Amino acid sequence: MIFAVESADQDKYPELFDEMFRMRAEVFSGRLGWDVKVENGREIDRFDAEDPLYLLSLDERSGQLRGAVRLLPTTGPNMLRDVFSVLMPGGTVESPLIWESSRFAVNPQIFEARDRAEANHMVNRTTVELLCGMVEVAQRAGIEHIVSVFDARMARIFRSIDCRFEQVGTPVRIGKVMIYAGLFDTGADMRSRLGAAGDFRSSVLADGAIAPASATALVANVE
Amino acid sequence: MENVADSDLMDALSRISDVADRNSTIEFLKDVASRYALNTIAYFGVGVSGQNEIDPYLAVTYSPEWVAHYKNRQYVDVDPVVRLGFRRMLPLDWDEFGNPTGRLKTFFGEAGEFGIGLRGLTVPVHGRCGDRALFSVTSDLSARDWASAKLLYMRDFQVLATHIHDRVLGIEGHASEPAVLSPRELECLQWIAEGKTAWECAVILGLSQHTVRCYLESARHKLHATSNTHAVSIAHRAGLLFDPL
Repeated sequence: MIFAVESADQDKYPELFDEMFRMRAEVFSGRLGWDVKVENGREIDRFDAEDPLYLLSLDERSGQLRGAVRLLPTTGPNMLRDVFSVLMPGGTVESPLIWESSRFAVNPQIFEARDRAEANHMVNRTTVELLCGMVEVAQRAGIEHIVSVFDARMARIFRSIDCRFEQVGTPVRIGKVMIYAGLFDTGADMRSRLGAAGDFRSSVLADGAIAPASATALVANVE
Repeated sequence: MENVADSDLMDALSRISDVADRNSTIEFLKDVASRYALNTIAYFGVGVSGQNEIDPYLAVTYSPEWVAHYKNRQYVDVDPVVRLGFRRMLPLDWDEFGNPTGRLKTFFGEAGEFGIGLRGLTVPVHGRCGDRALFSVTSDLSARDWASAKLLYMRDFQVLATHIHDRVLGIEGHASEPAVLSPRELECLQWIAEGKTAWECAVILGLSQHTVRCYLESARHKLHATSNTHAVSIAHRAGLLFDPL
């Protein structure tokens, strides 16, 4: 289940957000070896201070954080324009109808205590659920396109789950990895393709509600 | 050339160039309100002034009586839209406030007496330099009609909110940087200038239609254009396009 949480509401779920920042450190610094700043085991950057919207995938039963992604408007400060402008040297896309997604991460704890096949299934399922959440939340806000920076590994995952994207700009090698910028549309077709890939026919957003009163309380209600 | 669904928005935006000061901003908002059958529209910008970062910029279609009353009662301290809106990314439906109690109940009750609609929606705008704005509309539609109107017009409100915000930044003397269009955005505009549709652009450039629409959307935004045709004409005048083939 996907919870959309505004930055201003993160104080309501301090443990959940702390877990997300620690997960990001483990994923982006630890596993992927990206050059991100980690402090006290938490990866937090300047865009987290720009009031982004977070989508959190939580296990319906345990409330465990399965994955997260961050959304920013392209009209304001964003990673593609301010950090990865090298990917689009001619200028990035920018409009009130285009959001940027970043820090897409699936919790590595999913790998633990599971056999490999089950873990892979969970990773794919969480990925698709987060993507479904992005499309749904964009549709509700009138957003038509999402632009994102990702690596070759993510590009392979997107292809494997029929999440179509169009590469924009020029891929660049940064450190050990090739980095791409891609455009995703947020239309009904995209949502139904993703739904078919991950067996998410109905809305993945919690309670249909945008801002949960309390993540733990809502998860409790679901049970 | 344009999407049929865009015609409401294009009509509404056709008068954005008249916006040159606070009064013409209010006139523009009144025109938009009547086109979309809304009770009221309010624009509230912060960090928009080139000189004084503290000064908020307000342009509202509310009655002067409500504005005076709001100030007298210091409702800015109570108003949940102002308290919550600026840090939001998702549009804020006033239904989220639930059944207000206490001073908040009085506030909404009195707002209704002054012609503010039963239902409200606030679209937040995030600007480049820490500038933010709230674009709030209200309506007396039934819950059901409101739900479908919201779905239908959310995109228009997003675009309108940003256009007004950009206009206000201009009024307030924010130096606007010259538009930098990417090669792909220019290519799409060039073909639109040749009379091609978005679909034809997609075929010619070997892109998906969605991608072409995204490039055109971005180009319109960067050029502050109200339509593809308008974007072509602005780009042409700026010398960004080749002469017609």
